[in-house]
Amino acid sequence: MDMTLVLTAIFSLIGFIFTCLAVIEKDLPKAVVFSAVQSAAYAVLFYLLRAPDIVLVYVPVSVGLYPAALFFLIGKSERVEE
Amino acid sequence: MRRSYVVLVSLVSIVFVLAYVTTYMNALGSICSDTRYLAKLFLALTYNPDTNSSLKYFAAMSPEAVTAIVWDYRGIDTFYETTVFFMAIIAALTIYRGVTSPASTTQGNGLSLIVKVVTKLLIPMNIAVAVSIAVHGHLTPGGGFQAGAALAVVSVLLAVVFSGSSFDKLNISISKAVALRSTGLLGIAAVTFIPLVYNLVTGVQAYLMQSYVKADAPFAFPTHIWGQLISGTLIWLNVAEFLAVSFGFFVVFMLLSLREETVRKYLGVGDGH
Repeated sequence: MDMTLVLTAIFSLIGFIFTCLAVIEKDLPKAVVFSAVQSAAYAVLFYLLRAPDIVLVYVPVSVGLYPAALFFLIGKSERVEE
Repeated sequence: MRRSYVVLVSLVSIVFVLAYVTTYMNALGSICSDTRYLAKLFLALTYNPDTNSSLKYFAAMSPEAVTAIVWDYRGIDTFYETTVFFMAIIAALTIYRGVTSPASTTQGNGLSLIVKVVTKLLIPMNIAVAVSIAVHGHLTPGGGFQAGAALAVVSVLLAVVFSGSSFDKLNISISKAVALRSTGLLGIAAVTFIPLVYNLVTGVQAYLMQSYVKADAPFAFPTHIWGQLISGTLIWLNVAEFLAVSFGFFVVFMLLSLREETVRKYLGVGDGH
């Protein structure tokens, strides 16, 4: 079996688990961190699927800008989802 | 509790079915197989320095097929993406209208000394990587938007680690960021309309956003400078997009890092939501 497929499966699974955690989590900053971990797993997936252009835009946006924007917005509203 | 188990089991089964269908049943075509025909076509045509062959009419003169597609073969598409981003920034500026100097009114100490020192070391590297991605966009994976997003991380680091007042200390104001972003957008517009001006002046056929010679339009941007490949319009569009995107994000994060009381004061709104 191809090693790329095995790695793709592993990182998809990591992404899947952290997506579930981000959806379930009620503490919003924690949910954002879970979402960022999921994005990091997806960045590896894009690299494995030979899309380095997407990796270069996905890493800063999903790990840097998007969580930052969400943190600013959580700071302006409430921390815990009800 | 039982409901969450049902959700979990159904999600896991969906994942397995999708994984099985896409890998063993080749629903999306076989993964990790040979290059597909369309990709071969683009790879063969995108960089074609043989000027005697008529295939040069399909060339973008860039070895990076993705940037060639993004800014040459489907350039108008990317142009409209830039327009959408432009509108988003304009919307943010409209909401925060009247707020000119954010930093002087925000006072914060930022994070601890350790974090600050590490970030000070990281920021120059971040800028170097961003500029490198922008100016090598026509040679290696990357391009204007990727570089802009990479530089925008600097604005997040400044706002979070050194607090909002760091923008003021570094002499970065919202109006300056808007000016740099507009410079980028004007650069894209200039590159788009240069073939039109050429056509009006010389009478030679040229298309908007044209980068390299076409069968009925001999106009071409220079592909090399001092022996270095610059791929016609691609490097200029990448650098202009880099400015537009990075300083667009700068504006947004400078506005977001404002304190709520400051914004309320500027906008003249009360405490109610």
